[in-house]
Amino acid sequence: MPRGKLMLPALLLCLLLCACGKAAERSVGFFAMDTYMSVRAVGADEETLAGCRSLAEELEAKLSVTDADSEIAALNAAGRGILSPETAELLRRALALCGETEGALDVTVYPVVRAWGFTAGAYRVPTSEELTQLLQAVDYRGVEITGEGSVLLPPGVELDLGSVAKGYAGDRLCAYLREKGVKSAILDLGGNVQALGGKADGSPWRVGIRDPDGDGMLGVVSIRDEAAVTSGGYERFFTDAEGRVWWHIIDPETGYPARNGLLSVTVVGPEGLRCDALSTALFIMGQEKAEAFWRADRGFELALVTEDGVLRLTPGLYTRFEPAKDLRCTLEVIPDA
Amino acid sequence: MLKTRAWIAIVAAAALVLGLLSWYTLTKKGSGSVVEIVQDGKVLRTIDLDLVAAEYSFTVECPEGGSNTILVQPGRICVAEADCPDRICVHQGWLSDGAAPVVCMPHRLVLRLKDGEEADAVVR
Amino acid sequence: MTKRITRAALLTALALILFVAEAQIPPLVPIPGVKLGLANAVTVWAMFSLGPADTLAILLARILLGSVFAGSVSAAIFSLSGGVLCYLAMLLLRRILTESQMWVCSVFAAVCHNAGQLLAAILVYRTKGLALYFPVLMLSGIVTGLFTGLTAQLVARRLGRRG
Repeated sequence: MPRGKLMLPALLLCLLLCACGKAAERSVGFFAMDTYMSVRAVGADEETLAGCRSLAEELEAKLSVTDADSEIAALNAAGRGILSPETAELLRRALALCGETEGALDVTVYPVVRAWGFTAGAYRVPTSEELTQLLQAVDYRGVEITGEGSVLLPPGVELDLGSVAKGYAGDRLCAYLREKGVKSAILDLGGNVQALGGKADGSPWRVGIRDPDGDGMLGVVSIRDEAAVTSGGYERFFTDAEGRVWWHIIDPETGYPARNGLLSVTVVGPEGLRCDALSTALFIMGQEKAEAFWRADRGFELALVTEDGVLRLTPGLYTRFEPAKDLRCTLEVIPDA
Repeated sequence: MLKTRAWIAIVAAAALVLGLLSWYTLTKKGSGSVVEIVQDGKVLRTIDLDLVAAEYSFTVECPEGGSNTILVQPGRICVAEADCPDRICVHQGWLSDGAAPVVCMPHRLVLRLKDGEEADAVVR
Repeated sequence: MTKRITRAALLTALALILFVAEAQIPPLVPIPGVKLGLANAVTVWAMFSLGPADTLAILLARILLGSVFAGSVSAAIFSLSGGVLCYLAMLLLRRILTESQMWVCSVFAAVCHNAGQLLAAILVYRTKGLALYFPVLMLSGIVTGLFTGLTAQLVARRLGRRG
C-alpha cells in the first residue's frame, strides 16, 4: 500500500515542523548602561526585542551619572531638582535598601568611587586625608525626597544609582516582555542574569556562577522567574605601584575597597533590583554579617566565596546547585540558625 | 584470492567514504565555550572563553620535560608556542575553529571543548 | 640461526633509521597522528618474506627502541597499541594476498595502526572528542600505507630479481 508507506515520512515532517515552530527563539544584543546586554526570548518578535533596547537606553538616559544630560547628573550638579516619577520611585527604593543594609549600600558614595578613578578608568590610590574629606559628604540619610519627587541634596553630596540600575533594568525588561506576551526569556545585563519563566521546554534556566579565582565556573544554578546577581572584586580592579590590588566595591564606612574576607557574593531572588543592591551590600558586610542578614530576611538565596576558597550556599540554593566537575572550592551549607 | 582490481575498488571506495567523513568531522563547528586543558587525562584548567576579557597566555610544563605556551583570547584559544619535535599542536591553530581537540602528542596535552553541563547564561 | 638474528637486527636498524629520519621531516599536515610511517615498509616486507615470528620481533624492537630515541615513554604506549593492531591485520591479510598485492596489506596495516593509536590516545587522554579524528587518520592510513606498501613491493621485486 503506497499510502501506508507515505504515512511515516509525512508524520516525521509534521513533527519536524512543529518542533521548529515551537523553538522560535530570538535574541538581541546591545550596549547600554556602560555594559553589554543580551536578551534571549522565546516567541518574541523583532519589534519586541527592539523595544528592549530602547527601554534600556531610556533608563540609561535617566540614570547615568556620567551623562551630563541625565536626571541624576542634573540633580548632582544643582544639588536639588525634581525627578520624574520613575526615577523618584527608584531613588526611594534605593534609599530604603541603604537603610535596610544599615549603610553597607550607600547611593552617595560616588565622590569616593570617582576619587579612586573607577568611573573614568584613571585609577589611583587617594590619600587618607582626601578620603576622610570625601567621606564627610557620604551619607544616604542626608538625601531628602518629597512625595512629588522633589529632591534636596546636602552640599557636596552626589547620587549614583549605578548599584541598583542594572537590577532595576532587569525588572523593567522582564515586565515589558511579559506585557508583550513573552513567557520565556533570559537576560544577561552585563553579568546580571534575570530569567522570565523557565525554558521553552519547561525546564528551568541554567545559570553558571563564575569562579572569582579563575576563568571557569563554580557550578550551575537553576532559576525560574528570578534574578541572579554577583558582586566580586575580580571584575574591575587595579594593582598599584606597590603591588596591592584595589577593586571597585568601596566600603562607604572607610572609603577603601571593601576587603572583608569575601571574593564574591551571588544573590538569587525574585527581584533584580533587590538582588543587585544586596549583592553589593553583602559583599561589603563580609561573611558573618551577610549570613546574619540572610537569616533575618530569607527572601533571597545566597552564594558566598570566601578568600580562603570556601563556597558557602544557603540550603535553598544548595538543592538547585550543580557544582562544576573540577570545583576546587570546599562546598559548605550556610547554617539555618 | 581476490583480484588486484577488486582490491583497488575496495580501497578507493573506502578512501572516498573516509574523505567525506573527514571533511565533515574536521569542518564541524564546536558548541559551547568552555575549554579544558588536559594533561595525561587530568584536567589542569578550565576556561570559559566567553568570559575572557583580555588576551593572556600561560605555560604548561610537561612532567617529562618540555612545555607548551597557551594563548587565550576572547572567544578562542590555541597553542602559541611549543618545544615538541613536530609542533603540530601549534600548527593546528585555534580550537574554536572546529570541534576536534587540539593535541600535543609528545607532551600528552589536549585542549578540548567541554561537553555537557552547559549554562544558558553566566552571572558574574 | 645466526643468519636469522643478523637479518632481523639489520632490518630493525633499517626500520629505526627510517623512523628517526622521518621524525626530522616537518609535518605536512597539521593533524596529530598523521605521518608517513616509512618504517611500515620494513614490517610489511618482513611479513611477506620472513614470516610472522621474525616480523613481530622486528616490530617490537623498533617500537621500543624508537620510543627511546624519541625520548618519550608515552609515545611507546601509542606506538605499541597501534603496532599490535597493525600486526594482527597483517597476520590475517597475509594468507589471502599474493606478493604483488603487498600494498593492500600495507594499506590495512597502516589504517589499523592509526586506529589503534587513536584508541589508545582516547583512553589515555580520556577525551572522547578525539574520535573526531578517526576518519581523517584512517584516510591518512590509506594514503601513507599505499605509499609505503608500494615501496616495500618495489624493494621486494628488486631483491627477488637479484636472488
